[in-house]
Amino acid sequence: MTAAPTDVSSLLGIPERPDPARMQRERWARLRAAMADKGIDALVLLSNSNVTYATGASWPLGDAGRGNVERPVAVVLADDDMPHLFTPFVADVATRLDLDADHLHGPTYLDVDEGVAAFAAALADLLPATATMAIDDVTGAMHGARETFFGEWPPRSASDVMGPARLIKSPDELAYLRHGLWITEQAMADVQARLAPGARQTDLTATFLHRAFELGAEANVLDPIWQVMPDRQADLPWTTHGDLACPLLSTERELERGDVLWVDTGISFSGFHSDFGRTWVVGDEPTDRQKAQHQGWRDINDAVVSVLRAGVSAADLTAAARHASGVDRPWMSHFYLGHGLGLDSAEAPYVGTDLGDGYDLRLVLEAGTVVVIEPVVWDEGHSGYRSENVFVVTDDGCVNLTDYPYDPYGD
Amino acid sequence: MATETLPDHKALRYARRERALAAMEAHDLDLLVLGRVANIRYVSGVPVLWNAGTRPFGPGAVLVRATGEVHLMSTWDEGVPEEIPHDHLYGITWNPMNYVAVLERIGADVRPHRVGTDATSPLFAQLLPMAFPGAAIVDGGPALRDAKRVKTNEEVDAIRGALAVAEAGLAAAVAELRPGVSERELAGVFMDAMATRGVTTPATQDVVRITTVDADRGARGDGRVHAGDLVAFDAGVVADGYAGEVGRTWPVEPPRAGASVRELYDRWERLWDRLLDACRPGAAGSGLLEAYEAAGEPLPRGPIGRGLGLGFDDPVIVGDLPDTAAKERLDPGVVVVLTGSVTDDRGTVVAHEAVLITPDGPEVLSGSPFWNRERGGATT
Repeated sequence: MTAAPTDVSSLLGIPERPDPARMQRERWARLRAAMADKGIDALVLLSNSNVTYATGASWPLGDAGRGNVERPVAVVLADDDMPHLFTPFVADVATRLDLDADHLHGPTYLDVDEGVAAFAAALADLLPATATMAIDDVTGAMHGARETFFGEWPPRSASDVMGPARLIKSPDELAYLRHGLWITEQAMADVQARLAPGARQTDLTATFLHRAFELGAEANVLDPIWQVMPDRQADLPWTTHGDLACPLLSTERELERGDVLWVDTGISFSGFHSDFGRTWVVGDEPTDRQKAQHQGWRDINDAVVSVLRAGVSAADLTAAARHASGVDRPWMSHFYLGHGLGLDSAEAPYVGTDLGDGYDLRLVLEAGTVVVIEPVVWDEGHSGYRSENVFVVTDDGCVNLTDYPYDPYGD
Repeated sequence: MATETLPDHKALRYARRERALAAMEAHDLDLLVLGRVANIRYVSGVPVLWNAGTRPFGPGAVLVRATGEVHLMSTWDEGVPEEIPHDHLYGITWNPMNYVAVLERIGADVRPHRVGTDATSPLFAQLLPMAFPGAAIVDGGPALRDAKRVKTNEEVDAIRGALAVAEAGLAAAVAELRPGVSERELAGVFMDAMATRGVTTPATQDVVRITTVDADRGARGDGRVHAGDLVAFDAGVVADGYAGEVGRTWPVEPPRAGASVRELYDRWERLWDRLLDACRPGAAGSGLLEAYEAAGEPLPRGPIGRGLGLGFDDPVIVGDLPDTAAKERLDPGVVVVLTGSVTDDRGTVVAHEAVLITPDGPEVLSGSPFWNRERGGATT
């Protein structure tokens, strides 16, 4: 890792260099405790992010189709002090992970009947038939073999263990997360410096990806969004809920002077995903009206930040945003006011979803939780403003991990 | 890629949907509930935002056999074709019971006896029986494989389009290969060249690897290329939903004294001749595994054959799945990326070639240069 800014490190106890062995030991202890609490003997983990959490293995994620076929799988046993990893990338991970050789296995192919049968045989060697197993995802072939593969159907869900375990980030985890944000912001600065009328959305992606990989991104995890926001909502596609259509896909469309660009993207670093959101104006300074939109967004953001600390509920955050904006849902109503960030681009906790106020009231934030706050100001007839910042919740407030200016709207 | 987001071409959409419906008929499925992005696009023709890696299961699209109608999870209608009306769209939601309500409404009209899904999860294994009371919820994978395995001509054209971008990206990265450059810098060059050609979604992101076995490399650990190194490129893109992949290994010139890699390349050529020979129309997939054996080359760890289609697809030919390979047939219209890999104590020469099985034999779809064929004779 190259140098990232250190000003907030002391506030959060983020080490100068993360210690992957320490990080994994802490995760394993957390998983075992949660498994004991839920009466689960074995976790079988298929989702990329859960495998990364359980084993520390990360790899350049490919297209979903390939990811489904060639996916590493983790098996966590409650009475073992380290997980088993089945991976096509044995040679890569063997040197990097603190896993004993007998816990490293070759790849499984759980999309294929023969692969499911082989994996079932491997599992039988690791745990007794009476063990209580929980799983996160089920492939079609596993579904087809459910009577032989699963002791109970529907199977128990691993999310009862994985969700709470992944919610709180350790200082080592924050160090990785923050470095991924730093790579993203450095690459974005390059893109913004070259932003000009005539550039295509795909050209911005070219610059971003080139720089992000040079700086050490493990993978791109989201096709970067550079959505040109029209003045009026009617010039956006029809929606099922009547709210804004966003995010829309990037194309080879050329940008024009004065275009309002809603930017949103993320990369991965050591398995941690980043998130970046800003509004830019192409080749021009914002008008006074646009600056007022930005100020309105800042007011919402500041109101949320002023209440954000350990012990508040998600409903406290939505209430602050509502109060500051005078709008019922000053965020994209098909998403949320805020979401977690870690080994997935958007993960728990979710703040302000269509699960409703009751859910938000019961969702109490704990210290060490990462929340991306992303309100929206829409000024019908004059477009709007949207940005995102990544916060870590602390006992007495929160710390902003995002270190990127609001240019051209000023700071 | 164009300047606006459009549905897949009508010919592509209808031909694919017809195959899916025929497979539903053959497998006695009344509904298909699809969660995987490739399958959702296969039946809907709608481009969706690309994410890397696996996704949790959710009901992204539903195909109704009786009517051929598609219901799609999409909060907006951009890229949605005319045959999917607004009242067949349902928005993203965080409350799974909302999906149950959507599926119940679809099921109320259809009264399905058998519902196929392409995957599931502990949650949806509970919810789907609630949405379709009395119906058997089964693995729809075999039906989808039947539908998707053989490509239509339009699909093959789309794969060719993706390959052209992958090859341009590969050429751009190979052009920057020189002592001192790093793996990640070359990966950045590839991504840049791909996106500059209008395609922003890679199919593989493990783009560049130094394969030279070097006792010092672990200690250096900086991924920087040295003279004489063997460097493997794996260039894959997803363009208009379809995947193209091509790979080559290039030695970094000048070669290391007394360490000619020419022989490794010669071995690769002999292996490749046998792999291509195994691609006779109708041949078993296990012929590819046998080609390695006949060439005297050990099988690499991962798949040596991967289908191309909407993303990566069936078949998957790998030494760990011999029965699957034996059952797989390389029928005309199957497109497969073959991996030839030979290794010794100097390093590995690996290349990926996309091959279309035609009634007359295999057609190699990629045309990227090989070091040994283009320049190897002159430099060793």
